[in-house]
Amino acid sequence: MAATRRLQKELGDLKSPNSVLKKSFRDISVDESNILLWHGLIVPENPPYNKGAFRIEIAFPAEYPFKPPKVIFKTKIYHPNIDEKGQVCLPIINAENWKPATKTDQVVSSLIALINDPEPEHPLRADLAEEYTKDRKKFMKNAEEHTKKFSERRPAD
Amino acid sequence: MASEQHAFAYDPEKNYDEDIMAQQRQIEKEIAETQPLVSGLFTFDDIVEEYTSEDAVYRHKIEDLKTRYANMRKTRGDGNCFFRAFGFAFLESLIKDPTDYSRFLELVTKSKDELIALGFPQFTLEDFYDTFIDIVKQVKSPGTVEKLVETFNDQGLSDYFVVYLRLIVSGFLQKKEDEYIHFIDGERTVKQFCSQEVEPMGKESDHIHIVALTKALEVPIRVEYMDREGLTCNAFTFSASDTSDDSLVKPAVSLLYRPGHYDILYPL
Repeated sequence: MAATRRLQKELGDLKSPNSVLKKSFRDISVDESNILLWHGLIVPENPPYNKGAFRIEIAFPAEYPFKPPKVIFKTKIYHPNIDEKGQVCLPIINAENWKPATKTDQVVSSLIALINDPEPEHPLRADLAEEYTKDRKKFMKNAEEHTKKFSERRPAD
Repeated sequence: MASEQHAFAYDPEKNYDEDIMAQQRQIEKEIAETQPLVSGLFTFDDIVEEYTSEDAVYRHKIEDLKTRYANMRKTRGDGNCFFRAFGFAFLESLIKDPTDYSRFLELVTKSKDELIALGFPQFTLEDFYDTFIDIVKQVKSPGTVEKLVETFNDQGLSDYFVVYLRLIVSGFLQKKEDEYIHFIDGERTVKQFCSQEVEPMGKESDHIHIVALTKALEVPIRVEYMDREGLTCNAFTFSASDTSDDSLVKPAVSLLYRPGHYDILYPL
């Protein structure tokens, strides 16, 4: 109940032309029958991820905003902080630190920041973190190829 | 017997974080099914056996409480009990005696803009504030204790109320940063402390939370400490201002503290 009212407001803000994320988080869709499940397209700015776009799913618990949402990548991504299942470790939505005052656009902003600038100090994929730290050139090449092969097309505008 | 013990074998295919989270959800569910957020009234005779099963000394302490208090309400042990117990007990006191209502309403109405000025996101703050103020206004609409019990047992509404009290405490500590930095342990700023220990739901309240809430809302609180030492409870009054004398303060809210938990007390 509380969750529905707030999520409708948050969704309205994110879809508005004034949203600060309008270029980097797009195609936001929500199942009419389930406001707790969102999909959207992350469009990163920084290489090597700026060769594509990435679908994510945001799942809000029924207890939202008292429990944090979960974010899952639906598009494969070559990134030290995202594992093969699409799970991502974002401190802002860690159950221990979650604050009900945090808005979904802050969560998405923090996700986009992490995509653009990987944090190899807290990896979910140690192999990629090592490559990123020790051989940046090789990492960039692999990640760019991976992006071209698996990611979504970037919106034209 | 050693052969019957199962050694822990790490299974790399298993997601232990998810197991732990599932177990935690199960525990939360069990607590939610057995403990209402705010209970009906209990007499001390109702609870004496339950408390005494934890420690025999509680029998003496309950006798001591009976000399000063008529009955009590329990709150759910979910880490929010201090805020929920305070919120319920204070609004209930306003239903019974509305003298302080206008002052309180004016103070909390002002708090919204103060918190936004401190940097809390306006959108979510207003969302919490709107529900919080609706609940406060129930007191006069006209309020009944039955309706208040119902509101505080509606998880969504009840948690919105708790969140806003947490934000008031956070805002107060941040405003008085110079004073309160000395009471914070670890190498943390007041802002970090608030973000880790005050604002998240389920974080238990310490002395500093109570001091801050009392002063921010200018509502004096008495806490009866029921620990395992001695035979009586130790009462402590948190005054609403730095200048008021404890012995002269008439607390608006009385709470019972047993290690890790707050319930509501009703003076004779």
